[in-house]
Amino acid sequence: MHLETKSKLLLACGNPLCGDDGVGWKIAEAAEQDPGFADVKVVVAQQFTPELSELLGEAEVVAFVDASISVEPGVVSSFTVAAAQEVPQALTHHLPPASLLALTGYLYGRIPGRAYAVTVGASSFELSFGVEERLLDGVLSEAVRDAIPAAVALLREIFV
Amino acid sequence: MSQTITIDPVTRLEGHGKISIQLNDQGEVEGAHFHVTQVRGFERFAQGRPFYEMPSLMARVCGICPVSHLIASAKACEAVMSVRIPHTAAQLRRMLNLAQMVQSHALSFFYLASPDLLLGMESDPKMRHILGVVAAKPELGRAGVALRRFGQHIIELLGNKRIHPGWVIPGGVTEPLTSAKRDEILAMIPEAHKNVKLALTAYRQIADGFREEIEVFGNFPSYSMGLINEDGSIEFTDGALRLIDPLGEIVEDGITATRFTEVIGEAVEPYSYTKFPYYKPLGYPEGSYRVGPLARLNIVQSMGTPKADKAFAEFKLLSKGPVESSFYYHHARLVEMIYGIEKIEEILSDPKILDTHVRAAAGVNRFEGAGVAEAPRGTLMHHYKVDENGLITWANLIIATGQNNHAMNKGIFQAARHYIKDGKFTEGILNRVEAVARTFDPCLSCSTHALGQMPLWLELKAADGRVLAEVHR
Repeated sequence: MHLETKSKLLLACGNPLCGDDGVGWKIAEAAEQDPGFADVKVVVAQQFTPELSELLGEAEVVAFVDASISVEPGVVSSFTVAAAQEVPQALTHHLPPASLLALTGYLYGRIPGRAYAVTVGASSFELSFGVEERLLDGVLSEAVRDAIPAAVALLREIFV
Repeated sequence: MSQTITIDPVTRLEGHGKISIQLNDQGEVEGAHFHVTQVRGFERFAQGRPFYEMPSLMARVCGICPVSHLIASAKACEAVMSVRIPHTAAQLRRMLNLAQMVQSHALSFFYLASPDLLLGMESDPKMRHILGVVAAKPELGRAGVALRRFGQHIIELLGNKRIHPGWVIPGGVTEPLTSAKRDEILAMIPEAHKNVKLALTAYRQIADGFREEIEVFGNFPSYSMGLINEDGSIEFTDGALRLIDPLGEIVEDGITATRFTEVIGEAVEPYSYTKFPYYKPLGYPEGSYRVGPLARLNIVQSMGTPKADKAFAEFKLLSKGPVESSFYYHHARLVEMIYGIEKIEEILSDPKILDTHVRAAAGVNRFEGAGVAEAPRGTLMHHYKVDENGLITWANLIIATGQNNHAMNKGIFQAARHYIKDGKFTEGILNRVEAVARTFDPCLSCSTHALGQMPLWLELKAADGRVLAEVHR
């Protein structure tokens, strides 16, 4: 899978079955339906895995979207991400964004010119289920659900 | 004074395990065990669920090879339904399973094993990981990442999800393949071939440097088992099982899923939550056998595709009979990856591959069913019993890592005894002992089961690590 002509990349991660951890997926879903993101490649994953470095190696701008426990529930934040100086010694199946950028640099000799993290403060990561046909969609807390439009707006500014 | 060396956790394998090595008063290795220390109990909580939910439930056993669980489970359900799935559905499932094999083997070879193989068993442990490999040999790092993505992307295209796709169901698959997806997969094939060729070339260059490891890394005669086609070629999804003896003679052939439990029994040991399957007529442990890439290449006459057959012919030069050293699991994995890529291309050229009839429907027609598939690590069997409403009353899973359990323990003992002398050992020596387990690419999250009363060892420890109380069951 390659980016083709899209050099803008939105990478969202989380577990949609674990409450607010699924907010990244919901933001990605909203972005995909927004015409403002027509030239953005949107990818969702449970975790940021090493294989995503291939896509990052082709991107000019990337936004990592995830839930956060560092801020109050529903608070949308963004900050720039630089490639880590040192990568973790023990690689499991996932990497933080800074390490993923570093791996991309090692592998492909380049990293995106601009890299951001967009996070939404979460309140619960408990297992949760939706209802009927949306059973596997999980349930976001109210504050987090209400923050989705602001996160999408922030991403729109990043990708302009 | 006797001593126990503990390696906990064992790194660069799937799941959590530990190794204990027992030394006697003279510092000689008297015993070694590979402990699987977690238990999950999937077989138990499947009880009461409708049989048609089983594939998606059982796929959750493992995040590495959910596809094999999906397929073995769906086949067990189809035995309950007494249906034969459409040709196109069978071909699509075969492709899905091969895509998983390629990505899993890429993970094993590049991410988990290559730090030892390419950087050295004694290399600086701070750099002995995939990122160290990437820094030293970026072209191989790129090949590994690309082969992982090749397999994962096919799974994603077919199943609409990279992990735990719900596309495989009892009776077939939920939707047919589109021409756009077929063409996208075909376009990825040339690069995948190029990447696995690069890996095989790199392996050939380093293998001779591991003569000592080849001699003592689980190097012993054993029985081997795996799926095989009627023409003697390798098979991952259908076919029937063949068991050969240490000389390569066929002991059992045409073992169908229905006959599996007639032929294979399960033993337990107090030090592991993984079972120890064995060939019933020989009993345990004499009837222990190996499964997975090495065993599969030992039982087949051919791979059935041109490039893989060439690589297979080179592999067979390693021994006149069955290849015995578990070190060669790495080599066998590369041969299988070549096969997987070629076979996917062959399946996509099947004129019926875009056929829209991909599902057979039926209810409960039998109260018991079993299904077998080859997971990347070896043979996987799901066996269910249902009531008249189709609710699961009993389930049993026999997992590849379990079937390799005895060989893994024996191999670890062999390596530990060889390398540890007079009670002296280095970090590099302990890494070699771990590397024996890595040759098998065990997946411990899949393999944890209990038979009968679950063995339990409970320790109450103080903050300083002193054991205050112990309970053994």
